[in-house]
Amino acid sequence: MNGPPASRWLGAWGVGFLALLYVPIALIFAYSFNSNVVNMMAWEGFTLDWYRSILGLPTQLAKSDNYVQSTATLLAAVRNSVVVATFATLVSTAIGTATALAIARHRFRLRRLYQGLLVLPMVMPDIVLGIALLIFFVSLGLDLGLHTIIAGHCVFLSSYVFVVVSTRLAGMATDLEEASSDLGASPWVTFRRVTLPQIAPGIAGGALLAFIISMDDLVITYFIAGVDSATLPLFIYGILRRGIKPEINALAMLLLTFSFLVAATGLWLRSRRQ
Amino acid sequence: MSPGSSRRWALAGLLTPATLLLAGCFLVPLGIMATYSVLSPGLYGGVEWEFYPYNYGRVLGAPLGDVEEFDPVYAGILLRSLRLAAVTVVVCLCLCYPAAFWVSRLPGARKNLVLFLVTLPFFANLIIRVYAWMLVLRPTGVLTRAFDAVGLGAHAPDLMFTEGAVVIGLAYVLLPFMFLPLYASIEKLDPALLQASSDLGASPLQGFLRVTLPLTAPGILGGSVLVFIPAFGNFVVPAMMGGAKVMLVGNTIEQQFLAARNWPFGAALAMLVLGIILIAMLAYAWRFGRVDGAVRP
Repeated sequence: MNGPPASRWLGAWGVGFLALLYVPIALIFAYSFNSNVVNMMAWEGFTLDWYRSILGLPTQLAKSDNYVQSTATLLAAVRNSVVVATFATLVSTAIGTATALAIARHRFRLRRLYQGLLVLPMVMPDIVLGIALLIFFVSLGLDLGLHTIIAGHCVFLSSYVFVVVSTRLAGMATDLEEASSDLGASPWVTFRRVTLPQIAPGIAGGALLAFIISMDDLVITYFIAGVDSATLPLFIYGILRRGIKPEINALAMLLLTFSFLVAATGLWLRSRRQ
Repeated sequence: MSPGSSRRWALAGLLTPATLLLAGCFLVPLGIMATYSVLSPGLYGGVEWEFYPYNYGRVLGAPLGDVEEFDPVYAGILLRSLRLAAVTVVVCLCLCYPAAFWVSRLPGARKNLVLFLVTLPFFANLIIRVYAWMLVLRPTGVLTRAFDAVGLGAHAPDLMFTEGAVVIGLAYVLLPFMFLPLYASIEKLDPALLQASSDLGASPLQGFLRVTLPLTAPGILGGSVLVFIPAFGNFVVPAMMGGAKVMLVGNTIEQQFLAARNWPFGAALAMLVLGIILIAMLAYAWRFGRVDGAVRP
């Protein structure tokens, strides 16, 4: 049905689509080098000072009256984010993998129920889960802090790990596991020596995804974070609500680079041996 | 120990952590939220333990007690959220459908590269992606500067803090959710079917409407649900790009919890959001099952 003009039109649309995805990000990249302290939208000259200030290096910015140093709060937010993401990823990777194994390799009565329940935290709007957890923690009398954020993140991260590992298990033949058990290996030995090496890329991919999503989460964290437990997205959200400041550009680029590196590793792991 | 019983123990061991997590940190919190939604708000925040279904009455018009009144503002916010979520779905669909077609026809290596490029922004921080559009749309932003540069400064549209800005932000953030299911169903499309329809005298438009569209319907519906749900409950994008002018239900819930401190009313709003989404998902499951069944011979 498509002659050459139609495919040319499609091609143009496709290129435009990619441009739409990346041009806004490219703008942040460009503005992150703008040396104008007062009006960040007006180009003044090239500088690396915004990056230097985030990394705690000496800059020319301190000379300007309009510049307020916020590196300490930023570093605290980064630390909080990394702590939360690390713990939440470890716990949810274990739980998500265990559940995926149970669903894929066992037949039991509540199987469908578990499958449905595990997908639910992922598809329901963040705000609903966020306020449900807020009411829950407050009615338990818990102080909000990093521990409540970690608990909250585990709920939906487990779902993501579950889905990724399940996909891996579904694409895997069971004959090696059956052979191992026929040859007298215990379920544990079969798991350790046969199943685990095969699903390891899936587990690693799920863990990376969980880590990124945890680092990225704003809405749920917003409701269950305490006064001193602001994570990086909360820190950025706070700044943006008070008015845009130029160091956001450099911070955004560093964060994007990090996410893209982790994501690229994850996608590569997933594509390997599949 | 018999092999059967050791398998049962293994299963119990595998399921226990998830059971504890889901029960403790998911089902119980949802249950408490549902309970809160029918309790009376305390004078200084908190709740009074009395049955009080009138939180729903404020939004829906019934039931109404002596104190609570039906406030059309909330019903309006709910409708606006539904409308903007629906517009976002349509915008994403129109942008992604031709793009997914394009990707499905690329040669192997290029196809993988483009798929990678389309998926990558999904992993970028949500707030940064919204921020990128703030740079474009804000009054002194890139768009205004572009209009200035070509001498049309007076005609530059002021989109920031409008419904249009909210839809742009939502669509940008949610594009991958529409693209991937669409791509999956378009990729499966057999070109021979279109060839056959054209050989039998169908026009390209007929071919599209009678062959391509029905066969890719599962992708369209799947993507629509995946975009609709987060768009409907979103509160970050409207807070940043809509300001106080474009309140959506997500912002209203946030306000009830962090500013107005009327937790039962906020919980009732959240329950309504959850209810609407469950209906959307059930409708999708019903529709999807039918379409899927009809397509398979």
